[in-house]
Amino acid sequence: MANCARILLNAKSHLSTLAVALALPALTQAQGDEEWVMPRTEYGYPDIQGNWSNATITTIQRPDGFDKVMTPEQIAEIEGERQQVIEADAAPSDPDRDAPPEGGYWTGNPVWDSASGGSGGYNYFYIDAGDRVARWNGEPRSSLIVDPANGRFPPLTEAGKAEIAAAEARSESDSQYDNPESRPFGERCILSFGNNLGPPMLPNAFYNNNYTIVQNRDQIMIMTEMVHDFRVIRLGEREPLPDHIRPWFGDSWGRWEGDTLVVETSNLPHRQINSSRYRVPGGTEQIKITEKFTRVGPRTINYEFTIDDPAFYTASWSGQVPFNKMDELVYEYACHEANYSLFNVLSGARAEEAAALESEED
Amino acid sequence: MTTTKKLRTALLLGIPAAMFLAYTAPTIAHHAFGAEFDRNAPIKLQGKIVKLEWVNPHTWIHLEITTEERLGEVWAVEGGTPNVLLRRGLRRDCLTPGTEIIVDGYQTKNHALKRANGRDVTFTDGGKIFMGSSGTGAPDEAADRKRAYEKGRC
Repeated sequence: MANCARILLNAKSHLSTLAVALALPALTQAQGDEEWVMPRTEYGYPDIQGNWSNATITTIQRPDGFDKVMTPEQIAEIEGERQQVIEADAAPSDPDRDAPPEGGYWTGNPVWDSASGGSGGYNYFYIDAGDRVARWNGEPRSSLIVDPANGRFPPLTEAGKAEIAAAEARSESDSQYDNPESRPFGERCILSFGNNLGPPMLPNAFYNNNYTIVQNRDQIMIMTEMVHDFRVIRLGEREPLPDHIRPWFGDSWGRWEGDTLVVETSNLPHRQINSSRYRVPGGTEQIKITEKFTRVGPRTINYEFTIDDPAFYTASWSGQVPFNKMDELVYEYACHEANYSLFNVLSGARAEEAAALESEED
Repeated sequence: MTTTKKLRTALLLGIPAAMFLAYTAPTIAHHAFGAEFDRNAPIKLQGKIVKLEWVNPHTWIHLEITTEERLGEVWAVEGGTPNVLLRRGLRRDCLTPGTEIIVDGYQTKNHALKRANGRDVTFTDGGKIFMGSSGTGAPDEAADRKRAYEKGRC
């Protein structure tokens, strides 16, 4: 039990430290930044290397009734409530508790509950989704999308709507449990779920929203902790790929415009663009994504993106996501290592089929 | 519910309600717990740890049941990803074989597997084994977590 007591003590210390930090005026950071000088590589380009995180409570789209910039009261409420969720999950449980209720245990968070199907995950046993709203140049934001001005995805074209409908039909089909290849990429440990590496690189609502960036004169490598995905961005004049060659994460080429790294990506595979619909609605093979990375301080990269796909969206759309420096390692996430879950999912489907047959025979 | 409460709840829940749901695919995590576990098969287990698999994508704790019901059965319980747990200062050597724990969660859809998810995993006094947040990378949080890791949480 000494273990447990120590864990509780450390957790309280953590929460206290966080509370003090939240109360610090933004001025402190600003004063620190005034003395900051852009670090540069031996080739003279801004140095954006290191470990970074884009975890945040702020959602991709803006909820109804919010302005672009949140008020101090809204921040206090939202960050405070997330903290309450964390603390509630950390509080001791009754050792004489019953099993959870039949029919499902629901957290009240639709994203987490959608993934768990009421089976009890995900709570903060599993989740590491950030506990602060995104602050862009110190401005607390209510959405990551900044264009359209309402902070929402633009309306879809008829083709876009048809694509969504077809995907929904596939996801409701019994055949989705037929074999490993019919399961989603994330479940098969092929791609990170939730668009972490993108493009665009968006935080997921669960965990592993961490990145390592390495650069040399000719290339930038970005690796995300989620499923250990990485992409290599070549710098210079694009050498176009044939249309039928579509590597995971597309074909990214970058250039320095002043101190901003501008990256343009094309040739994304259709099945990847449309595999993480909860972060990005989807797209066609003509989708083009422009990303901008600007280091604005010792601990921040401002990351901006614009999506152009007129066949899928009625307008282009853009977002802004701050990346915060991490003072720790990004760990290997060798997802295939012990992916018992895929076996469990397929085994469960076979058991349900057998039970249904038995029921019919009765 | 007041308008303010609704707005706050909407953002807290990370979802602009209907519009977001329209774009939400059923499978949105590494794997859908909803596809793996049976929400109509809740279970509570108490037993001693016989093996800990500190593996990706999720940890698995194997325990031998010590209660009259299911006495001697070995069950496997799915837990959080090692990366997240490590950042909270929890290392694999925190949970040694022989440690008695209580788990409640839901069985896999194939009930014959003797596997479940760990919705709530505690020591026998109810204290949580897994908990906390590893935050967002803000400097104060990172330093705090680094100290916790260096000191060890177990």
